[in-house]
Amino acid sequence: MSGSLNQTAVSPTGGNAFIRASNGLSSLCGIVSASMILIAVIITCQMIFVRFVLNLSTIWQTEAVVYLMVSATLIGLPYVQRHRGHVNVDLLPLMLGQKIRKLLALVVLIASIIVICIMLFYGFEQWYVAFKKGWTSDTVWGVRLWIPYLALPVGFGLFLLQLVADLVSIIMGYEKPFGLEEKL
Amino acid sequence: MDPLILGGFVALATILVLFSGISVANGLLVVAACFLLAFDGLRSLELMPEIFFGKLDNFALLSIPMFIIMGASIASTRAGGDLYEALERWLTRVPGGLVISNLGACALFAAMSGSSPATCAAIGKMGIPEMRKRGYPDGVASGAIAAGGTLGILIPPSVTMIVYGIATETSIGRLFIAGVVPGLLLVGLFMAWSIYDTWKNGSEEALAVRQYSWKERFEILPRVLPFLFIIMGVLYAMYGGIATPSETAAVGAILCIVIAMVIYKMWSPMAIWAVLRDSTRESVMILFIIAAAGVFSYMLSSLSITQSIATSIGELDVNPWVLMLAINVFLLVAGFFLPPVAVILMAAPILLPIVTGAGFDPYWFAVVLTINMEIGLITPPVGLNLYVINGIAPDIPLKTILWGSMPFVACMIIAIILLCLFPWLATGLPDLLMGPGV
Repeated sequence: MSGSLNQTAVSPTGGNAFIRASNGLSSLCGIVSASMILIAVIITCQMIFVRFVLNLSTIWQTEAVVYLMVSATLIGLPYVQRHRGHVNVDLLPLMLGQKIRKLLALVVLIASIIVICIMLFYGFEQWYVAFKKGWTSDTVWGVRLWIPYLALPVGFGLFLLQLVADLVSIIMGYEKPFGLEEKL
Repeated sequence: MDPLILGGFVALATILVLFSGISVANGLLVVAACFLLAFDGLRSLELMPEIFFGKLDNFALLSIPMFIIMGASIASTRAGGDLYEALERWLTRVPGGLVISNLGACALFAAMSGSSPATCAAIGKMGIPEMRKRGYPDGVASGAIAAGGTLGILIPPSVTMIVYGIATETSIGRLFIAGVVPGLLLVGLFMAWSIYDTWKNGSEEALAVRQYSWKERFEILPRVLPFLFIIMGVLYAMYGGIATPSETAAVGAILCIVIAMVIYKMWSPMAIWAVLRDSTRESVMILFIIAAAGVFSYMLSSLSITQSIATSIGELDVNPWVLMLAINVFLLVAGFFLPPVAVILMAAPILLPIVTGAGFDPYWFAVVLTINMEIGLITPPVGLNLYVINGIAPDIPLKTILWGSMPFVACMIIAIILLCLFPWLATGLPDLLMGPGV
């Protein structure tokens, strides 16, 4: 599970413009995601104040903070990927030689890319249907659902971009497969 | 295909995929997508993003990033050091007082943070160098912190208990209370071992009793008391029925940031950003696994695997304790390889009907499951806490940390046995405070 510990590790760019651009976007995602979480914390405190101090009922807060958290998660995916923060079990890669390890890293990245493509495609479809049909949540606030659903295509799209950048970086040899040093 | 055989294939595929080095969340999505595509057709894939979104669309989950911010903001200050120093100044007469103080500080920190690595890092940063300086063997110093850190997921608030509560639709408040007495029991066992070990093997320096004046004892309290007030405030708000765990966690997060700023002078925007950044990374990582595991369990139940496993084990008619032993072995092995959150999300929904069917209490089971996960945190090959300690004290070999942690693993196994013999250790306090469970 080196992934979760290697918090300062950043994917190297090797001066490649595409990788640099996608890394930049992922960093921006990190700022957006962290801000969303902070806003959710503040709104929750405001909600408690309104409910317990002012004794009023709250209308939009619960829904807003939940959608903020969902969006923060989706938008945060590329950022965490860039910093190698998604935990993995790297026992098998550790046991392999450099060549097979690289091959395995490519297979793993391609599998991730395919499954995130599926999520992106159907996530976009879900957003589009909600937008086209004007779906709203069945609460008092009745938020237009395409707004929170927008996080699905945007989050998975940017995540996909970062995964492709990582794939390029492994193919070009800018980065060691699984971020592991060669066996001594 | 028979759902049970299919379940076997899913288990095999999941093990293979997760061992490939793919991230846990992506791996779960890959397995779910493959089996849905093969057995339910292309159209079933279109539900995946909807289920992913739906799993996260839950107010209770909000408490996870909030409790992580709470822990991270305190961990970024030298509060961990202050905590054990205060305890040490007040516990001078105990042999191995410094280890005891560190374990106590871990327990207190665990009551402010829901995460084990955070507890480990916060106390270990100051605690390990100090213990080594004072002549404690490396194994004892690092092992105690690795083990003390695991208390983070048992003593409330606990991220894994929140995840268990959501996965099994049990009360998070009740789960938190169920963790209190077993948490204290574990602290007691850890301390007892440490006292014995220091008394038997410690150097003269470690055994030497340090004297502190009353002035020294009192002057450190102002730096520690605010955190104790936060702990009590969080407990009061949650159990007094005033606020939900998420609401309490939000207030706790803001208070901890304010305390870090006021008492520890963490004014620089960069320092606050660092706390937010680290909390975001950890929260997104956990929430991604939760959502992906949601898609995974949708696949399991859509292919009728969950239901048929529960039914067929129910029909086996084995002795409930044999069943519990088998479940424990399974959890222990799973915990060796996977992070607690992933094990709970994949296993708890399948195991809970079996466990309750055999007459066990779901809250008691949560505690046993959590202690199993704690063992996984300090055992190879992927004991997260071992690596955290390795990061803090790179010159202590991993092997020394590992051997230092082993006696604490034994303490945890003793705790599980005690919980099996006396289930009221976990269920007593919730029954007392919240009335008998269902």
